[in-house]
Order: sequence, then C-alpha cells, then structure tokens
Amino acid sequence: MGNDISETIGYIVGGGLKDNLRVRLTIPPQQVQEGGFVVIESGDWHFYGLVTDLQLGSTDPRFADEQSERRLPEGIASLLHGQTLYTNLEVLPALMLETGPDLSSERYAEWRKSLGDREPRLIPVKTVPAHHAPVRLAQAGDIAAIFGDSSQPGNFIVGYTREQNHPLCINLDKFVQRSSGIFGATGTGKSFLTRIILAGLIHYNRSSVLVFDMHNEYGYDDTASDTNQRVIGLRTKFPGRVRIVGLGRGASIRGQAPDFNLEIDEKDIEPEDIELLYSELNLKETTPTTLAALLHTFGKNWYHQFKIMKVGTFVETEEGKRVPAPGSVAAWADEVGVNVMAAEALHGKMSRMFNKPYIVEQSVKNSVQEIIKLLEAGLHVILSFGDYETDLDYLLVSNLLTRRIRETWVKTTNEYRSKKNPEPRQLVIVVEEAHKLLNREMAKQTIFSTIAREMRKYSVTLLIIDQRPSQIYDEVLSQLGTRISGWLGDDADIQAVLSGLAGRDHLRGMLSRLQPKEEVLLLGWGVPMPMPVRSRRYDDRFWQELLGKGNEPENEEEIKKKLGF
Amino acid sequence: MTVIEIGHLLRAGTTGCVVGCSVSQISAPQFGGMVRINPEGSGDYHIYGLITNIHIDDDGLVRQLVTAADIKPEIISDNRMNRNVPVEISVLFIGYAQQKAIYHLLPPRPPLTLDAIYLCTPVEHVQFTGAGHFGYFRHILRASDLPVGELLAAHLRQVTNNHKDQGNPEWLGNATQELITLLRDDYPTLMSVLGALSDTRLNY
Repeated sequence: MGNDISETIGYIVGGGLKDNLRVRLTIPPQQVQEGGFVVIESGDWHFYGLVTDLQLGSTDPRFADEQSERRLPEGIASLLHGQTLYTNLEVLPALMLETGPDLSSERYAEWRKSLGDREPRLIPVKTVPAHHAPVRLAQAGDIAAIFGDSSQPGNFIVGYTREQNHPLCINLDKFVQRSSGIFGATGTGKSFLTRIILAGLIHYNRSSVLVFDMHNEYGYDDTASDTNQRVIGLRTKFPGRVRIVGLGRGASIRGQAPDFNLEIDEKDIEPEDIELLYSELNLKETTPTTLAALLHTFGKNWYHQFKIMKVGTFVETEEGKRVPAPGSVAAWADEVGVNVMAAEALHGKMSRMFNKPYIVEQSVKNSVQEIIKLLEAGLHVILSFGDYETDLDYLLVSNLLTRRIRETWVKTTNEYRSKKNPEPRQLVIVVEEAHKLLNREMAKQTIFSTIAREMRKYSVTLLIIDQRPSQIYDEVLSQLGTRISGWLGDDADIQAVLSGLAGRDHLRGMLSRLQPKEEVLLLGWGVPMPMPVRSRRYDDRFWQELLGKGNEPENEEEIKKKLGF
Repeated sequence: MTVIEIGHLLRAGTTGCVVGCSVSQISAPQFGGMVRINPEGSGDYHIYGLITNIHIDDDGLVRQLVTAADIKPEIISDNRMNRNVPVEISVLFIGYAQQKAIYHLLPPRPPLTLDAIYLCTPVEHVQFTGAGHFGYFRHILRASDLPVGELLAAHLRQVTNNHKDQGNPEWLGNATQELITLLRDDYPTLMSVLGALSDTRLNY
C-alpha cells in the first residue's frame, strides 16, 4: 500500500490464528518491545496485531553457539549474523480491515464500486496474511483508526504507545455503557489512573459519577503517599460539577468541610443490608431467620426497635419465676418463637452498628435523596467516608445507597420506556475495594452484582477498582466491558483479569511484565484489541491538556497583574 | 586491453577442461583466475571458467635429473624451457556468453582440442560476475573435490577490485552474503569458506 520500505520491521514467516503469527525481524530487536502494536499489509487487507514475544533463533544451533565475531573480521561476522542469526516476533493477530488496492491502482475504482454504500470496517481477525507480508509498527494514523481520534469528542487519551508515543484513546461513551474495572497490585498507580479516568468522565459530562471514596482520595487535594507531592482533587478542578458528601454529621475531609453530610435513617436499613455484613460481623446461619422475624414484627421500624432492646434483663413473675424482662431481646424472641441465643448473639454483633453516629433515627434532611437528585441533575458526587474507614462502614453505606439509587433508576427507566419521563441520566458508580462487595459469598446478596449483570439497561454501570480481582465473583468479572490493569503479580489475579478474553495465554506474561506505575494493559469489550500503554501522567500538563490553559485557576499574582496592580 | 593467451585445450567435458601450456607461459595464469575460451568457428560463443588447478607433471629426464648431485643452472633452464610435457591447467566451467547474453549455466558444448584459452580482462570480470545473481557459485560449490574455500577466496580477491574500479564497491558484500545464504545449512563448508575469505584481507 505504498508505505516507505524503511518503516518495515520484518516479514511474516509462519504461524496461524491459534499459535500466533511469526515475523522475522529485520531490525535490531531492541527497537521492538513486547506489546508493540504492529500492522501487517497483505493484499487488500491490513492486519493489526500485538507483539507477545520475541525469540532469538539461528538457522543452525552452531551459529548461535560459536562466537564467530571473535574468529572472523567484523564485516564478514556481521554478514554471517545477518543471515544465520535472527529474532522472530510472535504477533497475536487481533483485527483486520479491508483497505482495498492502492489508490493509484486501476483496480481501486472497481473495488470501491463493489463496496457500494458499505464502508470497510474493522472485524476480528478471521484469516492470516500471506507469507512474507511486510510488517511495520503502527503509526499515529493506524492507532487513531483503531482506537479513535483523540480530537473527537468522547475519545479520551488514557496513555501512549510504548515505542512511538502515539496517543491512545478509549471511547468514554462505550466505557460507561457497561461496567468496567481498574485493577493492579497496590502501588501500581491505580488511584492516579482512576483520577485520570474520573477527570475524563466528569469533563466529558455524559454520565454522572458517584464515587465511594473509602480513603478520601478523590475529592479534595491530597498528598501522594510515595512522593509526598500534592495531588489535585477532582473538586478543585471541577468546583461547579462535583459535590463532596461526608459521611456523618460534622465530618471533615482532609481538613475541609464537605458540601453536605450523609446521615442514614434507621428506617432505610433493610435486613439484606445486615446479611451483607455476614463475614464482617461474623454472623451465623440463623441471622436471616431472626432478621425476617424482626421485619415481620416491627415492619420498617425493625432496626430501631431491635437497637433499643435490652439484653440479659430479667424480671420475676408473681410465681417467683425468673423470666426475660419486657423489652428485652429474649422476651421478643420468646414471643415470636425465635431462638433466644441466636437473637441475643445477633444483637451483640450488631452493637457495632448501633454505635455508628451516622445512623440516626430521623435525619435532619433526607441526604440520600439529595445525593440521588444531584446525580439525576447531572452532577457528580464523591462520598468521602471521613473517619469511618472500616469495612463495616463501607459495605453498609455503599450497599444501602446503591440500592436506593437502583430503585430510582429502575423507576425512571420504566417511566421513560412508557414515554412519560425523559431518559434517565447515565450513572457510573465507582467502587473501591470491590472484592469486599463482590466476592463469591457476597455477590449474590449485594446490589452491586445485580448492577454488574443487568443494570446496563437501566443506565447504571459500575467502575470497579480493586487489587485482588481473583476475589471478585467470576460472573461479575466476566460482565466487565473495559478492563484496565496495571501490574499484577499473582497468577490467580492475572487469570481473573483475563477471563473470557481471546489470546489470554499470550497476554498473561505481558501483564506480569508491565512497568509498575507507568504502564497499563487495556482489555475487553470497550477497546478494539488488547493494548499495553504507557499511562498518562496525572500532573499539571494533564489538566492543561484536558481543560485548556484558559481554564486553569489563576493565582493571586496573575489576577492582580490583570487588574493593573 | 591486452588479451593474454595462456595455452591450448588438451581435453574437455561438460563441466570443465584441461589446458596445456609451456613453462614459459606459466607466469600469467593463477589459481582462481577467470579464463575465456572462444571455440574456433563458433562466432560469439564464449565459455568462461575458473582455474582450479595448475599441474606440472614429471617426465623421464627430470626423474633422472633430480637424483643428480649437482645440477647446473643451464640444465635446469633447458629442462624447463624445452621439456615435452606441458604444464596442465584445470578449468572449471562457470558459464558462457552467446549473442552478448551471459548465462551462469554450463556451456551447451565443450570447446575442442587446441582451442586457445585467454585470461579474462577486468572488464570481462565485471561483466560476467556482475550479471545475474551469483548463479555461477553453484558450479563452484558443487565441486566437492576442490578446495572450495580457497578457490572462492582467490576468485573474490581477483575480482573485487575490478568491481570497485567500476563503481560497485558493494559487490564483495553481496557475493559473501550470497555464499552465506547458499551454505548456511552446511556449517563446516561455510566456516571454511569464511575462514578463507578472512585471509584475503579484503576490506568489507
């Protein structure tokens, strides 16, 4: 297709769809890296693939064993090595595109006519290029053709190709259509990557974002744990669009007051919220029965009633018999026929919850509803847990809030479908430490697995952030559209991230060799093909590129200068 | 350009021939040198070959002389200049030219006895070895009874400078590369050839 021959890095010498393609490298191996994005031109087709391995080879093992450069003059040795020693690339073919004959060719007009109105489009690879088809590294144009042009709205640069530094985009519209995941071992830059993606989503503003910010990282400015440098918070850059909600009255996030506080009404707590805390509260098999009895006896007020019950109080009857005092757990249990020991044990275990100040009998204002309204209005909410950093707080609040959100979105969607209401706003719920909510035991009980499985049709999707993807329930993991993964060391985690993807055996090594904090692997439905990239830096330049220089908050000196002081 | 005649044909086959010459002519031909034979009466049909062996046979007189105690210089000179047994030069055919086209194939018919043999001129070197893509290496590499490495080294040493003079300094590199390609499945022969080429001290 008329490409400069100097761009060619090699030619096809063998392979297939199952075993990858083998490419004889004609340039020094150091100029190509694992994960390199290559284009193979064969006939009227372009094949796009990923370098998964580089192997040294020789036409005869003796040429490799013998250090002939010591015996022969440099010129002859160099010629000998060029002919007998070589490097083969293994290329995982991913996509193919019909490009047709060369523009200057006579056949071009005929080919164009045969297409009719149809435009050639990328399809998963279904055949192989011919022997000796030239192979070259992808150029910026190839990458834009596959991953999208960064100048188009909705295309957001997440990183750059390793060798040639070409920008590589993900399509945010596609990204939010299905649940997504950001994975990586601790210290591999997950938080920074999440900030970058969130900044992109908020800036693009096609979906609302609700972040369960367990460690108070995303809202206000923070200090990086490893470099001690200031990290800009999302609220700082999007003051008009982002609201910070603190958990509990008087919460302080990084020394600043949130926009408002979240308090949970006792009536909002449902038995399933407690069942979710099965392992956290070390609950027993009898818990669901006890909770069902509580709900049956007290209705929506069950939590409050259970909370005020006494334990271990007795009264003497007229006959002098010692019986549980009225208003005690045992008295209620006896009355409704529930095992007393089980009920008292549950009360004891739930005392950790009873002491939570953010669970109140009657909140001043319905802050849960306020969060939902903000999200419906297109704003973005970061729920900071403040000092409530235990798993109990996180699991309880995130599940409860998400359940309420789901109810609202399901209702709005149903109304929209019956043409009564406008379409619900797309919502992305960002969940950190996702394995705590979506592990095998929990997944069936929490609302999150329901969302991951079916909420796409109700315009709510998850963005899961986790360092142990292997702990997440397979059924949820397999539903994730876009997966962005940093370095992972554990085999089970690597396998989990790659589950359900073609060519995972070849991608496995790539994932374990990513440069921590610098490189990530893009995978899944949301990206046309798996691709390792040098991730974008979360720094001043990022903000300048995203918001433009004019949108930078000015410092005092500049403002004074403009005013003529 | 002077054309140097080195002798006349003694016997020939499809793959090569033997040329006889007198001792007085022995200074011109050398091992690996390229020769040309224009069979008499065949117009512009030329056969090209490489000198693969120069053989000096004994005769009855020299067998007696070598045992003599004191051989006078004039006797040595007389024996060499006037001996009846010729110096034999073995030639390996490497191609031919017909109607000004060069072919790196074996000649369709061998030359006849007493046809004259000439050393190739530098221009002929360049024309023949620069035509095609080193197809004549086939004939050299097939000759398993010859010291192939030495023969190739001698040939390349004689031809390389002619190509350089004609503005083609890459010829040597290309020729060596072709040899490596042809011999890369035959490690011992390739290393022997490259060892010989190293000793040519040619500048790669």
